[in-house]
Amino acid sequence: MSDEEHHFESKADAGASKTYPQQAGTIRKNGYIVIKGRPCKVVEVSTSKTGKHGHAKCHFVGIDIFNAKKLEDIVPSSHNCDVPHVTRTDYQLIDISEDGFVSLLTENGNTKDDLRLPTDESLLAPIKDGFAEGKDLVVSVMCSMGEEQICALKDIGPK
Amino acid sequence: MQGFPGPLPDLAQLQSTMVAIERACSLIQMHMNPAEAEKIINPLRQSSMPYQTCRFILENSEVPNARFQAAGAIGDAAIREWGMLTNENRKSLILFCLHYVMEHASAADAYVQLKVSAVAAQLVKRGWFDFIEAEKIGILIEVKQAILGFQGSDMQSAGISFLESLVSEFSPGTSTGMGLPKDYHEQCHSSMELNYLKEFYCWAKSAALNVADKIVSCYANISEEKVCSRALRFMFQVLNWNFKSSPSALDNSSSKSNSGSFGIRPDMGLLKKFERSLLEPGPLWHDALLSSGHMLWLLNFYAIVRQKHSSDMLWFDSPLAVSARQLIVQLCSLTGTIFPSDDGEMHIKHLTQILSAVIEWVEPPNIISGALRSGRSESEMIDGFHALLSMATLTSTMLFDNLLRSLRPFGTIHLLATLTCEVVQTYVIKNDDEQTWSSEALDIMLEIWTVILGRSGNDMKISAEGISSASNLFSTIVESHLKAAAESAFEDDSEADYFHVSVSRRDETLYAYALIARAAVETTVPFLTRLFSERFALLSQNNERMDPTQTLEELYWLLLITGHVLTDSGEGETVLVPEAIQDGFSGVTEELQHPVIVLSWSIISFAKQSLDPKMRNAYFSPRLMEAVIWFLARWVDTYLMPIDAAKGQLGISGHDEGLQQHPQSSKKVLLSFAGQHSQGETILDTIIRISMTTLTSYPGENELQALTCWKLLVVLVRRRHVCIHLVALESWRDLARAFANERTLFSLNARLQRSLAETLVCAASSFKDLETSNQYVRDLMGPMTAYLVDISSRNDLKAVAQQADAIYMVSCLLERLRGASRATQPRTQKSIFEMGCAVMNSLLTLLELYKNQGEVAFLSAKETSILVNFCLQLLRIYSSHNIGKISLSLSTSLQSEAQTEKYKDLRALLQLLTNICSKDLVDFSSFSNDAESTDIAEVIYVGLHIVTPLISLELLKYPKLSCDYFALISHLLEVYPEKVAQLNKEAFDHIVRTLDFGVCHQDVDIVDKCLRAVNALASYHYKEKIAGKEGLGAKALSSEESNGEFQQSILSYFLRLLIQLLLYQDFRMELAGSAADALFPLVLCEQDLYQRLVQEILEKQSNPAIKTRLASAFYALTSTNQLSSSLDRNNRFRFRKNLQVFLIEVSGFMRII
Repeated sequence: MSDEEHHFESKADAGASKTYPQQAGTIRKNGYIVIKGRPCKVVEVSTSKTGKHGHAKCHFVGIDIFNAKKLEDIVPSSHNCDVPHVTRTDYQLIDISEDGFVSLLTENGNTKDDLRLPTDESLLAPIKDGFAEGKDLVVSVMCSMGEEQICALKDIGPK
Repeated sequence: MQGFPGPLPDLAQLQSTMVAIERACSLIQMHMNPAEAEKIINPLRQSSMPYQTCRFILENSEVPNARFQAAGAIGDAAIREWGMLTNENRKSLILFCLHYVMEHASAADAYVQLKVSAVAAQLVKRGWFDFIEAEKIGILIEVKQAILGFQGSDMQSAGISFLESLVSEFSPGTSTGMGLPKDYHEQCHSSMELNYLKEFYCWAKSAALNVADKIVSCYANISEEKVCSRALRFMFQVLNWNFKSSPSALDNSSSKSNSGSFGIRPDMGLLKKFERSLLEPGPLWHDALLSSGHMLWLLNFYAIVRQKHSSDMLWFDSPLAVSARQLIVQLCSLTGTIFPSDDGEMHIKHLTQILSAVIEWVEPPNIISGALRSGRSESEMIDGFHALLSMATLTSTMLFDNLLRSLRPFGTIHLLATLTCEVVQTYVIKNDDEQTWSSEALDIMLEIWTVILGRSGNDMKISAEGISSASNLFSTIVESHLKAAAESAFEDDSEADYFHVSVSRRDETLYAYALIARAAVETTVPFLTRLFSERFALLSQNNERMDPTQTLEELYWLLLITGHVLTDSGEGETVLVPEAIQDGFSGVTEELQHPVIVLSWSIISFAKQSLDPKMRNAYFSPRLMEAVIWFLARWVDTYLMPIDAAKGQLGISGHDEGLQQHPQSSKKVLLSFAGQHSQGETILDTIIRISMTTLTSYPGENELQALTCWKLLVVLVRRRHVCIHLVALESWRDLARAFANERTLFSLNARLQRSLAETLVCAASSFKDLETSNQYVRDLMGPMTAYLVDISSRNDLKAVAQQADAIYMVSCLLERLRGASRATQPRTQKSIFEMGCAVMNSLLTLLELYKNQGEVAFLSAKETSILVNFCLQLLRIYSSHNIGKISLSLSTSLQSEAQTEKYKDLRALLQLLTNICSKDLVDFSSFSNDAESTDIAEVIYVGLHIVTPLISLELLKYPKLSCDYFALISHLLEVYPEKVAQLNKEAFDHIVRTLDFGVCHQDVDIVDKCLRAVNALASYHYKEKIAGKEGLGAKALSSEESNGEFQQSILSYFLRLLIQLLLYQDFRMELAGSAADALFPLVLCEQDLYQRLVQEILEKQSNPAIKTRLASAFYALTSTNQLSSSLDRNNRFRFRKNLQVFLIEVSGFMRII
């Protein structure tokens, strides 16, 4: 049992795949799961059996992380489920254009201009107001399965 | 009426009040605008001297609800203003209520009369020590005359119902609060018990006797029957009294010592399960209950009336029948010094007498249960069972069995067995919804069996007849349950009850079954073996032609019951082989003939079949496997390499072989067959392989895997001498290797991986030399730390870390580390510590990435100064990520998730802080080598700075969080007030504001903690000031906030707040102590303000009588009891006393509007 023997293969190459297979029985509440092709956050897990001597099945209730729709799925607990890669990246907000797009400053100094303002009023208002007041704003962008959206805002102090 | 208190308003005014109240009452009744109605009614309750008005309403109103409210108002007002009423006043109020009840005895709306008599009872209790004896007798004599029936049966009922209220008012459990200390209630309780209780009982008895004749000869009218049932009910109530003065509690030891001789046991508390208690009224009651033939009369009376109504199925539930039976059952639990010391003769006679009557209720069992099925009420039978339970509790098993022999050709246990058979058979046919009685009946039955079979030694000897009854009963139980199991095999598993192998309620039932089986081990164990082998054979011959599900379910049930019969659960204790099994089978000396060994082997070889993939897929369903694992866990704990066997072997070498008796040799065979030197190791190997199978071949079956990790594997490493064999086994090494180097076990639930790590590391303690143990742990955990370090030092970490698989991996690894560190023992400390150090830095890196996984991380760290720094950093990181961050999610549900997550984090932080500052303090101070170690208080200081802004009043509404928060604050203020004084202004204000919020909180605990915090704050300031220092300095003196609330200094603000709380609000007496502790230093700090406040309060009071009382109370508060102005313990104690007196004196009438 020497250290050389162990080899956890690291499949985690950036951008290699959008999802990752994980056994249904190990997915817990607050984790992520793909239901009907949509990335969801798991809000409820329950198990049941088919007949007394059958195998366990997991019942998932998930909420789409982008459009907040509720989705459900039943999977035998030994099967694999797709788990989406969900990343959050912080960018500094540079500009808000009139057509509703924002421009963001990436880590390596480039700008990223392909994102719209969020539609949620409770997030939209502070972004607009803060920007109008000239505050330094950092937004978190959530990215999963090829979709991106601004999901949070952080005020790093007024200028 | 003479001396009736209160000024008499003019008639018109009375009328108008009455009309207003009536209207309000009808509004409430129609559920229209109840708030409005309350606004009208409340002033009546809270006004000063409302008696005349109430009386007017009671006497004149047509609306019963209004009368009800008026009665309540009298009670409330009189209790509140008791101090201001003259003795004459008080008496006339009580008499008014009493007369009112008597006069309206036959009126409709009985609840009004009940309320009035309850009010009378309350007032009697309030004045119990104010009245002289003659006055009390004067009041009670009227009641007595009413009860004895000189004025008709309605009056009798009214009198009895007054006594009922009085007795329940005097029992501490049911008394109403009066703003008096607990002592008062206690004193009332014992005074009532000594002086009046028996007399009351006798009054009710003669009332019952009076009408009984009429009832027996069928002349009685309805109201007379009512009197009888009420009287019996009241007698039952009296016998439920919690008798305190009986001396039996004192000489318990002496009665216990001679209990063996005649079989009466002074057993306490065994009846608790059904909310009943033993009855020990003491020798004074002898004449009332025993020598006067009371018992005989009662039993005969019930029997005769029962005979008359034998055709009436509803009669069994009539009030008369129910209360008579209740009384009989209660008398059954009579015990203690009421019986003379005649070797229990009288007690046994008493029990036999009752049994002879009760047996009619339950016998013959099959006819009774037939009658129940055709619709008769089960209440009589259930009461009969309760009576049997009382008897079983009070007698030794032998005596219990013999009680029946004078009446029947068989013993009580035989009867019990027949009854239980009947009940079990009904119980398992659950499909009939109407037979709900069977589960209640079974509960009581099994409780009786547990009582008579669950004791040890001399008290539990059973006759041969009893043993064979138990054996028959067990066969019936097993057969009917197997039948039920087979029938239910195809049902969908919706019931959570049947989902887990181990469910406490079912375990209790199975435990009772097991006790029955153990009473007749010689027959029941072979019986189980036979049943098991039959089913096992059925499976092996099956050849997949038939659906095996029914057999599987039968096996499942058999495994459960066998597990219970062979082993005890022994939660947290060293498990031994059950006595009955050790001592049984005295003739057996050959290992292969010992029934328990045969049974064990057949189950183990059955379990072994699960290693064969073909068999496993065909027959070993997850559910069956759960039972197998559960059984093995218990079996291993009891029989595998037992401690007794090791001892026995030591003994043998020193002893003469010839001395070994037969029973001992069978015991030896039993204890050694799976011992260290026989097949123990082989069995161990099999079991590890089976566990491996469940972990790898049942993917996703969380229940099963949890059982394996939490029950079976944990048991394996619990005992060191088993571990020694364990680590030497190839199969164990396979498991360890798989854990350390292979991916398969990562598919387990993360929490199970934690427990697996803990178990594996635990086994390290068995190695002889230190280095091997440490190397073992290193081999086990090295790959984990290496991987963590590896991943945290990657260049593309930021991108990789967010990937789902990486997150999953990291959280699994952290769980494993956590498990390993939980298994730390002195021997392996070194390697675990290495592990901790190795990952510390990577943890921090990871932490920054996984902002919310902080909780996982710090738990795995070790208690060193590194931890302190680590925590500091943890806090900083945490705060830098959370302060000022507005996180908003799309949907509200996700948002609330985020909120709860934040809440959890905060709780973890708070707990961390509290733990650091309370518990670990000692550890740290011991090895603090100055330069390196960081001051604990410093950590807390920083932590507090970070936490306080995060705590909002909004968040404090979560009860657990606020509880933690205030625990921290109060602790902090008590231990490090100087640190708090250094906090910056904002944070300090914040703390004060939260304290302000907490003092007015609903939860007593929180208020208590806040008061402690205030106390600490003020004491600190006072002490510092006396020492000539700054104390809280600027903060205490003035606060610049201009919103009015905080304009005065903080301490004076709290002083004002507390006095307000004490005087004007519904203050809870249990907080008086801590309130006094907080108030005292405040008063000392702010002498001037206090004087001013007192003046203010006095001037506000318009009523001169109240004013003088208040003034003297305030004076007494600060000037009696040699109170001085220092904060030592004596002084605080004196002030506590003063405040309590003050509250009793004043709080009542200060709440009047």
